[in-house]
Amino acid sequence: MDETRLRRAFLEEAEDLSQKLGDTLLALESDFSNSALINEVFRFTHSLKSESALMGFGALSKLAHRMEDLLGLTREGKLQIHKRVMDVLFKGADIIAEMMAAIGKGGSDADFDVAALMAELSEVIGPGTGKGAPVSAPSAPPSSSPASETAAVAMAAASGPEAAREIVLGEFERSQLREARDRGETAYRLTVLVDEAEPMKFPRAYLVFYNLESVASVVKTLPPLDGEPLEDSLYAATKFLLTSADGEQALKNAASVDQISEVRLERCPFESLLSAEQPNVPPSATAAASTEPSAPAPDEPAARRAGPVEKTSIRVDTKKLDDLWSLIAELVLHKSHIARLSEDLARGVDTETVREELVESFDSLDKISGGMQQTMMDTRMIPISIIFSKFPRLVRDLSRKLGKPVELLLSGEETEIDRGIVEALSDPMTHIIRNSLDHGLEFPEERVRMGKPEKGSVSVAARRQGGNVVIELADDGRGMDAERIRRKAVGLGIAGAEAFSEAQLLDLVFLPGFSTKEVVTDVSGRGVGMDVVATRIRGDLKGDVQLRTEPGKGTRVTLVLPLTLTIVNALIVRGDTQLYALPLTDVESTAKLLLTEIHGEEGRETSQWMDTEVPVFSLGAFFGVGRHRQDEYFAAVLRHGERTAYLVVDELIEEREVVIKPVDDLLNTQKLFSGVSVLEDGRLVFILDTSFIRRENF
Amino acid sequence: MGAGILIADDLSFMRMIQKEILTEKGYTVVGEAADGLEAVEKYKSLHPDLVLLDITMPNMNGLEAMRKIFSMDPKAKIIMCSALGQQNLIVEAIKAGVKDFIVKPFKPERILSAIEKALKAG
Repeated sequence: MDETRLRRAFLEEAEDLSQKLGDTLLALESDFSNSALINEVFRFTHSLKSESALMGFGALSKLAHRMEDLLGLTREGKLQIHKRVMDVLFKGADIIAEMMAAIGKGGSDADFDVAALMAELSEVIGPGTGKGAPVSAPSAPPSSSPASETAAVAMAAASGPEAAREIVLGEFERSQLREARDRGETAYRLTVLVDEAEPMKFPRAYLVFYNLESVASVVKTLPPLDGEPLEDSLYAATKFLLTSADGEQALKNAASVDQISEVRLERCPFESLLSAEQPNVPPSATAAASTEPSAPAPDEPAARRAGPVEKTSIRVDTKKLDDLWSLIAELVLHKSHIARLSEDLARGVDTETVREELVESFDSLDKISGGMQQTMMDTRMIPISIIFSKFPRLVRDLSRKLGKPVELLLSGEETEIDRGIVEALSDPMTHIIRNSLDHGLEFPEERVRMGKPEKGSVSVAARRQGGNVVIELADDGRGMDAERIRRKAVGLGIAGAEAFSEAQLLDLVFLPGFSTKEVVTDVSGRGVGMDVVATRIRGDLKGDVQLRTEPGKGTRVTLVLPLTLTIVNALIVRGDTQLYALPLTDVESTAKLLLTEIHGEEGRETSQWMDTEVPVFSLGAFFGVGRHRQDEYFAAVLRHGERTAYLVVDELIEEREVVIKPVDDLLNTQKLFSGVSVLEDGRLVFILDTSFIRRENF
Repeated sequence: MGAGILIADDLSFMRMIQKEILTEKGYTVVGEAADGLEAVEKYKSLHPDLVLLDITMPNMNGLEAMRKIFSMDPKAKIIMCSALGQQNLIVEAIKAGVKDFIVKPFKPERILSAIEKALKAG
């Protein structure tokens, strides 16, 4: 079985289930007695339980199992749904969603502490009901365990090279392996079969684990031994991936505790374990390297497996595929046209006609490739409703917890945005909404006193604006007092705060550790958060975030995001012999700077832009070349948030689109680049991450 | 003379059975304790080669007793006795360093082989 494919398939399906679980619970909340909904929720938890058990995600499986128990009772009419039951189920659904997210990123469900929730579930289920037996006492003989668990045992019991596929390694485990390799240790896969007569297999396997730890480093076990134990029978065959320098006999001795019927030990070369490090080799490269041009081996090489599996398949509107298909049809047509023209040329046909037709054909090709680019970009676009749909739950829970009734208004859910951006937007937006409810909105009594409606209002609106998506998050709460921010800023010793404009003051909120809230609450915490929002939006997403507020009236946070992260409009500049791209979203203007207009000592120079002195950075200085001394310089005026600065370059070349590719860390030790692009002529262009202008100096 | 063993269990019947199994195989039961506190006291005074320690006991439970014994003698050889369903407690005991565990109800061979292995291991 191909582990990567298996895991990916699991993620796909389980994420879907987890999403549906949440949605259906929401529906159920307003209709407790709807048995169809109860059935559905039951089914979702059941499927989640079985699938995650098969994949060895024990904590996830146990949680889903317990929820299934509860729902089973409800379904049989033995338990009435009430608010408490719903709350517990919601909590369960949330943790499952978080676990899925963690697994998707290569993490583990075992990192989540579910003990409290499990206890709550048991409490709701109650002792009197038949299914209330604690799951931590797995006394059922294997013959009566559900099919999925038996299957998992069968998987776990598989041995030999097949077994190698089952232990999936995350980045942390791989780094452990690399370190062990560098220490000169050997890697082994050790499988212990626990004697059938052992009534408690998990502790038995744990004893082996404990003993092994004294002679080896255990990298990973299957089933997992850390965290809450799974169904006991799963540990009948427990596998350990470990590294040691003590030799095979020591390992065998350590593993041979009583009640272990068999110990299997095999060496596994580090290369095969770590080969998954290499990112997927493009098929063309593989084919070129291969001496046999035949079809790829049916048994996918180990290089393709393991590692965190990001969700790689996407759903695409068939309309978009149809568009793409018709463009390709046109492309093929023009290709044959050009082929004919080339033959004509070869045969010596009148060059004048050929030239005209060529020019025409090229025009068409240009249009087609533009269309294809657009359509392909469209396939990366998904409606922002994907994140918006989480907010009703969030607001509902918070509103209840804080005792502040809130009306949530969503609009523009259909606005499309690059899927990479959507994923990164979820956390910052959640944070802003939490802030609104926690700090922004007043309690009902206070609102009434101020002549506001008792119910607070939070709105989230998205819209497309040119090449950007604009999202506005607003509340009608107490707003913020700019002067209070100024006092705090002055108190913190922020230079020039006395003279800051209101916009500059509000931008301070995005600084790490800056918060005017002196109250600590468990909803938004204190002093952390908005800086993370700013880093994510301005840094990672190349967008912008701004805050507007009116005391007593409310606060509005505006996020401006690029439509996509893969193509960016940029100003190409030259520094020495190297080309750099400055994303146009960050370029306010270009300018000529006279030497006499630059003030201050080198490294901390400033010059005037509009009415203020702004820092002057030099491209050359970043890369150790320094600035050639001349009377006049070219510069780009960069803006990042409320910060503006000059960047002196050797030449301003042109504005154009560049395709962003990730840049190797080795080339990016100063974290100055957000990516790299290759021009048609093969020259490299480094894309500057303009957030450097927020640094004090360089 | 066989190795000296201390049996700690709150049920006298259980102690009796264990004692019988052990003496028959030539071990010496140097003492018996009916709760955790007594187990710790007797360990201090009798210096047994190995302790059979029940997890569920009054006054001081087996886990606490185990910790006390290990704090006196980090090399103590302890085998925990437990009922089904106590795997988390057992895992705790394993982390503390017990040699093995036995699940009640047990067969005589199981207890004997566990003791034999535990005594053999350094």
